[in-house]
Amino acid sequence: MKIGTTRFGSLDVDESALVTFPAGLVGLGELRRFAVFDGPAGTPFKWLQSAERPELAYVICDPALFARGYRIAVTAEDLSPIAVRQVSDAVVSVILSIPDDWRLMTANMAGPLVFNVPRRLGMQLVLSDAAWSVRHMVFREAR
Amino acid sequence: VLVLSRRAGESIVIDGRITVTVAEIRSGEVRLGIDAPRSIPVHRKEVFDAIAAENIAAARGEMPDLKKLSEELGKGGPGKAQSPR
Repeated sequence: MKIGTTRFGSLDVDESALVTFPAGLVGLGELRRFAVFDGPAGTPFKWLQSAERPELAYVICDPALFARGYRIAVTAEDLSPIAVRQVSDAVVSVILSIPDDWRLMTANMAGPLVFNVPRRLGMQLVLSDAAWSVRHMVFREAR
Repeated sequence: VLVLSRRAGESIVIDGRITVTVAEIRSGEVRLGIDAPRSIPVHRKEVFDAIAAENIAAARGEMPDLKKLSEELGKGGPGKAQSPR
């Protein structure tokens, strides 16, 4: 199917390549369908592009790239919306916020994304653990 | 908005399966006990709102230089292994 995007023009995405967020994103519950595709070759980034809202796209990445101590405590019930049966099916990503000055890049560690990769389902968690911020500075020197 | 008055120890039942009990009231603070199926997420609203606001803010960027960012992350310098705030 074709999805219109403001950043990438018209994307031709196979239906099977879309990821469904049964509950949408936090505050954006109506947006259920996203395309996930790789950023530039050789980079660890992916894009999460809404199939329903052309201007809505996020750069996401593995939080272990810059925060090795990051751990999420969840129960099977927490992940029930995406039907995760075994931990090996689940992949955690975080949404990056990248301002013009890249040194001020932040990552949303309080609202990580969890994907059930084989089922192509995703959800955004709300962590009540106050140790991690919604605007975690990725580059320490930038303060 | 439905507004109900409850005393400490009293409850309300929502949809027959969620019970919210006023556990304690003291000095401007109310402690609530929430008994709900685990499949129903319960969050402090300010955390939920902060994530919702960040979801809007993070989508504002246009086309960042991801190759440059990848190089900077890979330098093993300032970007490595940030500990919790």
